[in-house]
Amino acid sequence: MKKLYTLLFSILVATATQAQVDRSTMPKPGPAPEINLEEPQSFSLNNGLKVMVVENHKLPTVSIQLTIDNPPILEGDKAGVSSLTGSLMGQGSKNIPKDEFNEEVDFLGARISFGAQSAFASSLSKYFPRMMELMADAAINPNFTQEEFDKEKDILITALKAEEKDVSAISGRVQRALAYGKDHPYGEFTTIETVNNIKLEDVKTFYRDYFVPANAYLVVVGDVNFDEVKELTEKYFTSWTKAVPPSFTYSKPKDVYNTQISFVDMPNAVQSEITVQNIVNLKMKDPDYLPALLANQILGGGGEARLFLNLREDKGYTYGSYSAIGDDKYEPSRFRATVSVRNAVTDSSVVEILKEIDRIITEPVSEKELKNTKAKYAGRFVMALEQPQTIANYALNIEKEGLPKDFYKTYLERLEKITVEDVQKAAQKYFSSSNARVVVTGKGSEVLENLEKVEFKGKTLPVLFYSKTAERTEKPDYNAASPEGLTAETVIENYLKAIGGKETLESVYSYSMTAEAEMQGMKLNLELKKTSKDQFMQDIQMMGNSLSKQVLDGDTGYMVAQGQRKDFSEEEITKIKEESAPFPELNYLAAGGLTLEGTDMVGDTKAYKVKVTDNKTVFYDTETGLKLQEVNVIDMQGQTMQQTMMLEDYREVSGILFPYKLIQSMGPQNIEFIVSEIKVNEGVTPADFE
Amino acid sequence: MKKKLFAVCTLLFSCTLLLAQEVQYEEYDLDNGLHVILHKDNSAPVVTTSVMYHVGGKDRTEGRTGFAHLFEHLLFEGTKNIEKGKWFEIVSSNGGTNNANTTQDRTYYYEVFPSNNLELGLWLESERMLHPVINQDGVDTQIEVVKEEKRLRYDNSPYGQLLPVLGENLFEKHPYKDPNIGYMKDLEAATLEDVKAYNEKYYVPNNAVLVVAGDIDIAKTKGLVQDYFGPIPKGADVSRNYPKETPITTERRVQFYDPNIQIPAAGLAYRTPGFKERDAYVLDMISTYLSDGPTSKLYKKMVDDQKQALQVGAFNIPQEDYSMYFVFALPVGETPLDTLISEMEEEIAKVRTVPISERDYQKLQNKFENQYVNSNSSVEGIANSLARNYMLYGDTELINKEIEIYRSVTRDEIMEVASKYLKPNQRVIIDYLPEEKPSN
Repeated sequence: MKKLYTLLFSILVATATQAQVDRSTMPKPGPAPEINLEEPQSFSLNNGLKVMVVENHKLPTVSIQLTIDNPPILEGDKAGVSSLTGSLMGQGSKNIPKDEFNEEVDFLGARISFGAQSAFASSLSKYFPRMMELMADAAINPNFTQEEFDKEKDILITALKAEEKDVSAISGRVQRALAYGKDHPYGEFTTIETVNNIKLEDVKTFYRDYFVPANAYLVVVGDVNFDEVKELTEKYFTSWTKAVPPSFTYSKPKDVYNTQISFVDMPNAVQSEITVQNIVNLKMKDPDYLPALLANQILGGGGEARLFLNLREDKGYTYGSYSAIGDDKYEPSRFRATVSVRNAVTDSSVVEILKEIDRIITEPVSEKELKNTKAKYAGRFVMALEQPQTIANYALNIEKEGLPKDFYKTYLERLEKITVEDVQKAAQKYFSSSNARVVVTGKGSEVLENLEKVEFKGKTLPVLFYSKTAERTEKPDYNAASPEGLTAETVIENYLKAIGGKETLESVYSYSMTAEAEMQGMKLNLELKKTSKDQFMQDIQMMGNSLSKQVLDGDTGYMVAQGQRKDFSEEEITKIKEESAPFPELNYLAAGGLTLEGTDMVGDTKAYKVKVTDNKTVFYDTETGLKLQEVNVIDMQGQTMQQTMMLEDYREVSGILFPYKLIQSMGPQNIEFIVSEIKVNEGVTPADFE
Repeated sequence: MKKKLFAVCTLLFSCTLLLAQEVQYEEYDLDNGLHVILHKDNSAPVVTTSVMYHVGGKDRTEGRTGFAHLFEHLLFEGTKNIEKGKWFEIVSSNGGTNNANTTQDRTYYYEVFPSNNLELGLWLESERMLHPVINQDGVDTQIEVVKEEKRLRYDNSPYGQLLPVLGENLFEKHPYKDPNIGYMKDLEAATLEDVKAYNEKYYVPNNAVLVVAGDIDIAKTKGLVQDYFGPIPKGADVSRNYPKETPITTERRVQFYDPNIQIPAAGLAYRTPGFKERDAYVLDMISTYLSDGPTSKLYKKMVDDQKQALQVGAFNIPQEDYSMYFVFALPVGETPLDTLISEMEEEIAKVRTVPISERDYQKLQNKFENQYVNSNSSVEGIANSLARNYMLYGDTELINKEIEIYRSVTRDEIMEVASKYLKPNQRVIIDYLPEEKPSN
């Protein structure tokens, strides 16, 4: 009975209210929610530290953030010192060893981290006093030791090495260097060389100069009370010595006179990184700050913006294209429109980005675009208020950027008043299609020809060439590298000539080689013997035990791997024969079917690329003619893998040049064989091939 | 509305702590079986509307994998009253954000709006449930988008194939063996009839939970929920009966090659119980013990002291029927993968054979307390937890009492659970290796 009643009731309710719902039209928003912008409480210490406190008792947690708002720092020939300082901070303190420090923080279930000019901690509020103490101690009494310094330096150098082939990392540093110049804090970059210049003493000096309270802000947010924060701050941060960081002035960066392409050649690039950039003088307190943000949002702020809709949705060139505008109270910042695209559409993408920048400068945006973008900003503003940190960040911005006190209180109102004209004016002032630097980092041999033809507004854009370290360089000379009439056969002949001449090589009926390598701490010994009568033997041993042995004697052969013997199939024998000759190149010429596939870089050396078979490509130095690298595609348990052999350190034995260093890489393995002995026409007996 | 009492309070302090953050909510069913959970928090003018459907990657038939994930895309295509392609514009031009995600077990859709757009959020989700437009054109488009997503997230992303590799090697019969995103050939073979039938079977109110959380008025919200969701017809009951796996009893070792990485990874994978089981909670604690924080066992030993690994991690991939447990390390320089494997096993063996120290146990409890407190820091997160606890764990109230489970786990139990699931003969060793990309 009761159930029936409930059912009846709910049907009544349903029908009664359903009349009011018309789902065929989108519901209208209710009245705008009231926004409650609290203000943090604040105080300062005598040493200059400014403290802001946002009490929020919703959860029993607290966060402590220390920010030092110093002007930009030029690190010069010791670039990397700030990064090393950051890594060494928070490794305990002079009072608490690193392990104890970490153990305690971890035990409390808390987090703490440091940067070169910042620190952050979070924990349950019951541990707040101890976290304040630990943070202050590590910040004011850092423990810089040689041991940790050496460790962090190694890590930094490893990261820099890995970066050398990273197209987007190289592109980023060249962009900054070109925009600002390398003698500007925003234009300089860290290299292995500058890191090697840094001593522990430099880290200490950097810390002493810049980790000072004059421009420091401590922001505490969460389940705390103001009096307690004040008391603890005074207790733990008063000993932080008052000091002002040194400050310098830097030359002001300028845009180029005409839009031009700056090209960085990276032969390993499979995608081109394109950035169209210009210098921007924009501060948060500028009256057109918000219109500038809206203009950028409409151009490239996300998935509904013009760059994305054009380059991805319409053209399918990329997974995404975006733009960003920076603001900075100290120095000029940049406007950048970026995209990563496959090589073939590099030139077209440059044109499309420039067109979109030009369009937002020359034509007003639509009312609808403006309306939607405002709504997006307003929503973002309202929703950010859910985080108590937002209140603190706003207050911090007002302080740091010198904003009017009601900057955020009037934010929505000012946003609403922005017109289509305001947006266009901002676009005209801050974006440039006529003085833009188009930085393209990519594979020159595939993209340059079309890139040099790029026309914008009826003019062909000049292309300037830069190295990976942002130095002006010559245009990479791909054509001269493959002179007219040069064939694969000539390349091979040149190689044979370079290592000793055909006649000398043909007089070799056998040679033997021994080499050593180290792999994962173990020593590997390689023994290799070859004759001109299809005899071949290769034995790899580890600590006297054979890991793998291959033997070929005319038309029969076998391999032993991990104790298992297996006879070669006919197919395998044919394959090994190709390689078993003392100098396979002599056979290549006879076999024919070679293709010269142009030039490519092997490390830093330019090489001719000769395709021998579908599975084998060999690279020969364009200058010396010597063989630099072999790339074999092999089939291993159903997986196609690529095996690379680099040949270096050529030395003469019996009038023939042999490489004394062989670096084989496959998958994760990189084995470097150093040859200990090569014998020509001696040391080989028929018994070797049994 | 249940009254919550905390019967067991050992410390007065922890009691006040819990009461201070208890999540209040109200839950009920509509006549069509839709479960509704309302959570009111007026501290910021923001509201989250979300729907979780009990359908995921595992809900498929052989040859039709990846349907749930395809649907995540399809159900943004448009509805009877929302024009194709307008969904995102509606959300963003009203100041909101939205997204969706699919796991092997469930699909979750949500919007976050300033609270004056509560009704809009309800309208959007009810439109999606009542009458999504599913046609050949949309299916074709979304299959292409899913292929791009697969390229980006799996094929082209460093370590992106890890989850599929784990699934493939830990399961033989259960649908977890296949990737959540599915095989592209299966998607291509899908007919419009297949897709429509899938929609009718799973995307029904009785297989879903609606959560409205944030700056709301409870009575008014109940009315709106009834208006928008009440008229949606109930579907047939959904039943599942997936094959059981036979336990893994001999170690296996597999290699996988990823062209997007420079540094290999050595991994130990184990099949562990579904996330509802108490043992799954214990395994979570073991992960934290092994690899969370600078003084965790694996990190301290392999990264900090011995400098053998760049990174180590132990984590539980929680799933409804069986979970996957994975311990991995990335080598520094030329450290052999075998060394990493034996170093990892050495620490796991200790957990199996010796109870962890009193101090480490207390550290674990402190970490879980911290994690628990922070898990309820955003309304968006609370909405997700409420939906998940109700639908997958069968107990909405877990949001307030999950911490009790961790508190009740003993040191001996940690040891027992480790030796129950993390023995060498139960593991699959995964060599996750770089594949050289052609240099030109």
